[in-house]
Amino acid sequence: MRKVYITGVGFITSIGNDAIAVTESLRELRHGMVQYPPFQKPEVPVKVAAPIKDFQTATTDAEDWIFPARYNIRRETLRGMAPHGIYAYCAMLQAVEDAKLTEADWSNPDTGLYAASAGSPFLLGYHLERMRKLGVMRCPPLGIVASISGTVNFNLVSQFKIKGASTGFSSACASSAHALGFAYDEIARGRQNRMFVIGAEDGNVESILPFAGMRALSLQTDPAIASRPFDVARDGFVGTGGATVLVLESEEEVQRRGPKVYCEVAGWGQASDGYNVAISHPEGHGLRLAITNALKYSDTTAEQVDYVNAHATSTPIGDISEARALKSIFGQSPTRPAVSSTKALTGHGLSLAGAMEAGFCALAMKEGFMPGSAHITKLDPACEGLNIIRATLPHRPNVVLSNSSGFGGANVVLVFKGAN
Amino acid sequence: MAHVANNSSGIPLKTFTADDDANLREALKRCSAATYEAAAQFRKTGNTEHLPAIVLGIIERYVEPDLRAKLKDTDDDLRIIEDLGIDSLTMMEIVILVEDVLQMTINNEELRHLRTVGDVKTFIECKVSGLPLPKPTKFMPIEQIMSVMPIQPPFLFLGEASVNAHGANAKYKISGQEFFLQGHFKDNPVLPASIMLEALGQLAVLFLLEGQVGEAGRVVDHRTIFFTSCEGVRCHRVCKPGDVLSLSIKPKRLKSPLATFEGQIRVGQEKAAIAEEITLTFAFAEEVAQPAPEAQPAPATTAGQSQAAVNA
Repeated sequence: MRKVYITGVGFITSIGNDAIAVTESLRELRHGMVQYPPFQKPEVPVKVAAPIKDFQTATTDAEDWIFPARYNIRRETLRGMAPHGIYAYCAMLQAVEDAKLTEADWSNPDTGLYAASAGSPFLLGYHLERMRKLGVMRCPPLGIVASISGTVNFNLVSQFKIKGASTGFSSACASSAHALGFAYDEIARGRQNRMFVIGAEDGNVESILPFAGMRALSLQTDPAIASRPFDVARDGFVGTGGATVLVLESEEEVQRRGPKVYCEVAGWGQASDGYNVAISHPEGHGLRLAITNALKYSDTTAEQVDYVNAHATSTPIGDISEARALKSIFGQSPTRPAVSSTKALTGHGLSLAGAMEAGFCALAMKEGFMPGSAHITKLDPACEGLNIIRATLPHRPNVVLSNSSGFGGANVVLVFKGAN
Repeated sequence: MAHVANNSSGIPLKTFTADDDANLREALKRCSAATYEAAAQFRKTGNTEHLPAIVLGIIERYVEPDLRAKLKDTDDDLRIIEDLGIDSLTMMEIVILVEDVLQMTINNEELRHLRTVGDVKTFIECKVSGLPLPKPTKFMPIEQIMSVMPIQPPFLFLGEASVNAHGANAKYKISGQEFFLQGHFKDNPVLPASIMLEALGQLAVLFLLEGQVGEAGRVVDHRTIFFTSCEGVRCHRVCKPGDVLSLSIKPKRLKSPLATFEGQIRVGQEKAAIAEEITLTFAFAEEVAQPAPEAQPAPATTAGQSQAAVNA
């Protein structure tokens, strides 16, 4: 098996629209929540979300959208994209620049692209309404590719002229962690030399609010405490969107090109709860097995793990089952490893979450810190016995796990190691 | 063209309400003000004179800004895909907006044949006025030209060609490998004037075979086409290897057994040669007794005669 490294990152997130801003927010524990204007209506019980700043994508007409001046996007590129397609496109530009890649490096049969998003319920709803009202022949010809799940890979593969493996992943909140895991496999097994991994979500009314129906969203009105994983008073997650792009390369490519290296992707594991369509197993059985597999496949022992970026979304049930899974692996050790949930800062990015948090781990390992688990006033007693860090620690973790769990009880655990 | 559509072309006019006007403004919000004005006038009066402005205005909105200058030339031969960078999906966006603005329905099959700005304008005018649609411009790559022409390399002087009811256009690049350039002239290759006239004659042959000559369903027999005469041939420019000839012919009179064309050749913007009249004879397939396959070799336009005419 060949070694695999992360050599480039790109971020459009609620806590920053590039790696520098995101690093600062993670270190300083600056969150991205606001009282989201479209939610400020009497009939909407949810008030807080973590939207993307400096982009305006609220209309169904992509030509009305506004984005930062550094991105110049032509109409023919825009027309097939959802809001999160634009986020992914911009993050992709950052990532190829960060990894110092030229088009010749990425447009070849040895470079692939795996992506994950839930599609755009916002555009899908608009197009279906138009079809019902005006007839199918008056619907925009690119309405489908802009709105269905897969829209990110359709668009970026064609726009960046990707010639290698490409597909999308659909396991809800574990989707882009799956994308990263399988991208790792492609390189480790020698099928590809380089993979782009992308997670993205619209993070707007249509992608967030339906979760209120299943009572999964926080009803807090104060943006500063709405997302507080592991706190005893947590009452649900805060929705967010955006995009993260990671560049994975083989060790041969790293030696040949000499890019900076964030960290090694050392392996991954997955397992399923086989329990409930939407609720995680109360004892965290699936996640526990996924961690066990990830450690096994990356030749890592539980004792070596320095930091765990938890999935913890701030829901009452989910956080406890993850805490139980972690305790069953790491025992009742109060010192190791450090555990935090960066969703306290970003909100929950759904299909975006896995790639975004993998990107956070890459930043932490390169810059030498472990982001704290923000907004905890009183730790849930069920989480005692874990080293949940309340403040950012100025130490470089050498072995890091990133957990993701999705609907249907899909659990994915990624393992990163210091590049030296 | 009909001036007031509901008088002469019988288009029923629907009332144009304030709501319709608001929808029209919204639909055309990214088009020029003139496009909206023309569309509003058309919807109020049915006057089809507004159609070219509406259609051009809608096409312009979908052309990338750096290519829009091309539309200002109002060249009906501008190709939608090759010259304006519009792909088939954008073409659909254009159609949807045209349908919305002109309150009409266009089906996919009709769309496939629209290749130039002129095709689109003619098509919309015919649709709105309820006239039969003309045959669209046919674009022929070299392989297709060779499959229909009785003349073959090394004596075929047409590259890509386009043919419609009004004439034909073709390009020919002088490669420098043409066999006659070895001796014409010594150490100074120049395309013979006779070959320029031959190339125009060949384009006229292609028009007779692929254009719309005579009533529908009648086909010109390629074995019956021969050169008869030419008039007013003048050469203005010496053409050498590397030059790309832009050939065009237009029919002046078409009545079996004679077809008379005017033709010209340009290299870029420079006039290279004109022929006021080139006349060919031809016959329709059903008028020709079927000869034994080998009885008559496939003829070229009679280059010898044309050469004589040029030299005269």
